[in-house]
Amino acid sequence: MTVAQAEFVVETDRLTKRYGDVVAVDALSLRVPRGGVFGFLGPNGSGKTTTMGMLLGLVHPTSGSAQIFGDPARHPATLKLVGAMVESPTFYPYLSGRANLRYFQGIGGRGKPADIDRLLTLVDLGKRADSKFATYSLGMKQRLGIACALLGDPELVFLDEPTNGLDPAGVVEVRELIRDLGTGGRTVVLSSHMLAETELVCDNVAVLSRGKLIAQGTIKELLREHDSLRLRTTDDAGAKVVLRGLPWVEEVATQDGGLEVTAPQARAWEVSRALADRQIYVNELVPIHRTLEEFFMEITETDPTTGRQRA
Amino acid sequence: MIGNVANLTIWEWFKLRRRWMMWILLVFALLFAQLAVWGSFFSYQNLRDTGGELTVPATLQQQQGRVPRTVRCNDLLSGDPARQPTDLDAQVTAGLTAQCRAQAATLPSRMSRAYGNFTLPGSIPNALGTVQTLGLILMAILTASAIGIDYGAGTLRSVLTQGTGRWPYLTAKFLTLATLTALGLLVAVASIAISSTIAGNLGGTAPEAAGTAATWSDAGIALWKAWISILPYIALTAFVTVLARSSAAGMAIGLGYYFAEQLIVALLTNFFSWFQNVADYLLVRNISGWTGATGGFPGTVLPDQTHAIIVLAVYTLVLGGIAFWLFERRDVQGATGGG
Repeated sequence: MTVAQAEFVVETDRLTKRYGDVVAVDALSLRVPRGGVFGFLGPNGSGKTTTMGMLLGLVHPTSGSAQIFGDPARHPATLKLVGAMVESPTFYPYLSGRANLRYFQGIGGRGKPADIDRLLTLVDLGKRADSKFATYSLGMKQRLGIACALLGDPELVFLDEPTNGLDPAGVVEVRELIRDLGTGGRTVVLSSHMLAETELVCDNVAVLSRGKLIAQGTIKELLREHDSLRLRTTDDAGAKVVLRGLPWVEEVATQDGGLEVTAPQARAWEVSRALADRQIYVNELVPIHRTLEEFFMEITETDPTTGRQRA
Repeated sequence: MIGNVANLTIWEWFKLRRRWMMWILLVFALLFAQLAVWGSFFSYQNLRDTGGELTVPATLQQQQGRVPRTVRCNDLLSGDPARQPTDLDAQVTAGLTAQCRAQAATLPSRMSRAYGNFTLPGSIPNALGTVQTLGLILMAILTASAIGIDYGAGTLRSVLTQGTGRWPYLTAKFLTLATLTALGLLVAVASIAISSTIAGNLGGTAPEAAGTAATWSDAGIALWKAWISILPYIALTAFVTVLARSSAAGMAIGLGYYFAEQLIVALLTNFFSWFQNVADYLLVRNISGWTGATGGFPGTVLPDQTHAIIVLAVYTLVLGGIAFWLFERRDVQGATGGG
């Protein structure tokens, strides 16, 4: 299968990685569609970096398989088509930023020497290109990592926490850059803790928790699945019974002196009608739009105050 | 695949040539090469000027409590009273003179040998003996550093995600180090040749004496042997560096093993005669056997060259093979720190 033919640029089938008794990645079956920015989300230790490592040939899977562009992942020929920045960017400290890019371009046979100046300008490192990498700030290292991942104009780019260490202006710049990268048929797999940023640039996301894939789809679909309505009625107790009887209502909970109904917002009118049929009248009906962050906290069982997963 | 390895080798050189360490190590190698040439030159000059020197212990001197001193055979044998030592008993002086007469018979051959050690082509095998010993240490440092930096700085991750492949990358490192060893030795030989020419002019005409002078063929063989002898040591250091994922560990073992083996062999062969058989299969001992060096193993018989080259080949293949196996098989982690 050629690069152009593959519908999914990344496919894994029950990909598993164990370290002794610890299962870092548990039977992960993931599909990354071609084009756009794919968010790869999960709390610390959820297995995101291990998965990227397995796809990029850095970590040997315990079982399962992975393909990139329909070919076995990890294979050097496949990796030539992929750009990556995994975890913190790593370069030779005694070489300049430019020399580091020349080196990685050379060993990977990626593009032409002239591309280096273009990439350094793209990530705003033109003025410090000839300084040693050891003298770079964290943000500059991050930018050089992104430039390196883009060497040879790869079809698929893995970026692991690309905005780490960047100032707010830098975050905005990189966000715009990632959004641009995801156009024109290229696919960017973005792993990030900055969920607000992710929501702004990603088309599709996959969420990992404790090594397992717990959600995958477009952001719209995922948030819609978890749509809810806030409801105040003339008889909340009676309304609870009525709504629980509706097949498309997932959950009804009492909250803040009213009810929170997990149901598609498009069916709000049906909620109102069903209650009216039982002589229960709606005082307030408000659609609740969740953010990706709220969705993430909920499905990964993360405590929003501590940021840690509940045991 | 060969093209990939060749490309990686070229880029390995791109990295290494930008490191001060490599050039500093080369300077050390050249300094030792010069030391060997000029040491031989001054030794020859001294032999020519003095006819050999004898050490007079403090106990034989008239004035007790003095430190040992030397007397020149040329002075003693000149018969000139003004050149005779005045602070020694006549009996002692007579004894020393007799000793000098006995040594005078071998003086021409000693002078010839000393002259050959700082003039071409004999200066090359002579100085390479010193450079080779130091080269083991220097290449251990360079090997540990060249391989260990990818673990310390975490760059192995960035390298492998470029699709280089693991074994081609490590092969390229070995090739680069082996090539640099050869180039370093060639540069050392060139510097030896230059200084030998200068020293030869300063030393004047060759002394007339019998003796087997080294040939250009001997020089070539010495160069070849020096290069071959360093390769198993590169394999040892690479193995330890990959095993420990650390340049510090590679350097420590690379440096320490050379001395540790000699110390252990010297100690254990004294106590247990059977240990001689074990020692014949140790790395440094076979390196010495291969190059014909005797340093470090006084009073012991080194393995012959055929035995030595087979043992060295086995060491290179086994240590290198395990390094490749580990490199290919293990997961790549993040930066471990260090260089």
